[in-house]
Amino acid sequence: MTGARRAWLRLLAVQGTWNYERLLGVGMGYAAEPLLDDLKTVDPVRHTEAVVRSAEFFNCNPNLAGLALGATVRAEYDGVPGGQIARLRTALCSPLGAMGDLLFWAGLLPLLLGAALIGVVLGARWWAVLGFLALYNVARVVTGTWALRTGLEAGMEVGAAIGRSWVPGAIERVGPAAGLSIGAAIPLVASWYLVDIGWPAAFGAVAVAATGVAVTRWFGASLTTVRFALLALVLLVLFRWVLP
Amino acid sequence: MTDLSPASALLLVAWGTIVALDLVSVPQAMVARPVVAGAVAGWLAGDVEAGLRMGVLFELFALDVLPVGAVRYPDYGPATVAAVALAADSPWQFALGLSAALGLALAVLGGFTLQMVRRANARAIQHHSAALAAGESGAIRRLQYGSLARDAARGAGLTAVGVGCAWLLADPLSRLDRSTALGLTLVALGCGLSAVIGGALRSAGRGPRLHWLGAGALIGLLAAALR
Repeated sequence: MTGARRAWLRLLAVQGTWNYERLLGVGMGYAAEPLLDDLKTVDPVRHTEAVVRSAEFFNCNPNLAGLALGATVRAEYDGVPGGQIARLRTALCSPLGAMGDLLFWAGLLPLLLGAALIGVVLGARWWAVLGFLALYNVARVVTGTWALRTGLEAGMEVGAAIGRSWVPGAIERVGPAAGLSIGAAIPLVASWYLVDIGWPAAFGAVAVAATGVAVTRWFGASLTTVRFALLALVLLVLFRWVLP
Repeated sequence: MTDLSPASALLLVAWGTIVALDLVSVPQAMVARPVVAGAVAGWLAGDVEAGLRMGVLFELFALDVLPVGAVRYPDYGPATVAAVALAADSPWQFALGLSAALGLALAVLGGFTLQMVRRANARAIQHHSAALAAGESGAIRRLQYGSLARDAARGAGLTAVGVGCAWLLADPLSRLDRSTALGLTLVALGCGLSAVIGGALRSAGRGPRLHWLGAGALIGLLAAALR
């Protein structure tokens, strides 16, 4: 089987055709194309069926999509019945989504962003921004490479391979680290802005922050923080207009 | 707002396009994060300090978003670029509030345009359903490239509108009385802090992560006091 490098590159755009019908499906089909090329010469009918399956509904965290891609492509080459491959694909959606989201969106990303914000505030500026980009992308490239390779090696046994891997342990460790990082960043960022403005005014900002936390928790999804912010800014302008 | 040359404005629009593409479509290298988008936009506009100040503020809002599943969220990347264009070359204490208002409105608009692109992608898939059912790889490629082009056009249009609005708001910003400008900045900062605190508490839940969040906050407070 050839084309793994091209497939890896195409996985960077796995969400390129994101939509509410097939979600990542078409992006997965696009990434699968180079891997399925060899099947065209061996078994053209199977190749056509595999291409159809590769672009059907799929959803997971993009950084772990390589596991599903590799596993389903390997299963196509192994001659596994189509229905079984479709079931594997469906079965992988939720665990790969949950694990990838916990590892990246709720773990590594806030961990590194918290560190980057602390770095900017403490004067590292560009170094903090570049350090964030470098660390995140190294982690992501290593994970993506591992995911595609593991999927291609494991095929239908990919679930067991994930269970034995480093991913579950990393999720347990990265969450608390992210909490620590964001927790430390918040007071430092606040002081970075507010010290220059003066403490009396800073109390006003802190009061707005406390109100925002309380109100957005109370109203839930109907009053997001962005809506609250826009409302507060408009109210301030109106207040200043009425009482100049 | 700095007197942006047409070349600088074009560079900002190009950067906003890259940033918009990076959010979901390709390559998700995190240049769409406001702290990155803002720093580079500040450099392009000739005021890195303004870029970092806006970028960090919008990062506080963006940290409230957990982009899981089919959740809908604002697009903070082009919004940060436009807000930096407005805030550049002005004292940040007075420019941050109005620039944040522009950026937040643009972020909401960006979220709507993201839904429009997703619906357009779904329509394109329906249009190519016969080719997909026949296993035509060419149809998959055409869909992919078409969707990327749509998202790029979205990002370019959004950033161009934002930079245009920044140009229009530059004069009102310079004439805004200082107490109102400072008030807007404080409200924007307070709202940014409420966003990041709310998001952090939600992510922490009631488990051990909440204790780590609290420990981090204590360390941060101590470090802030010692600075």
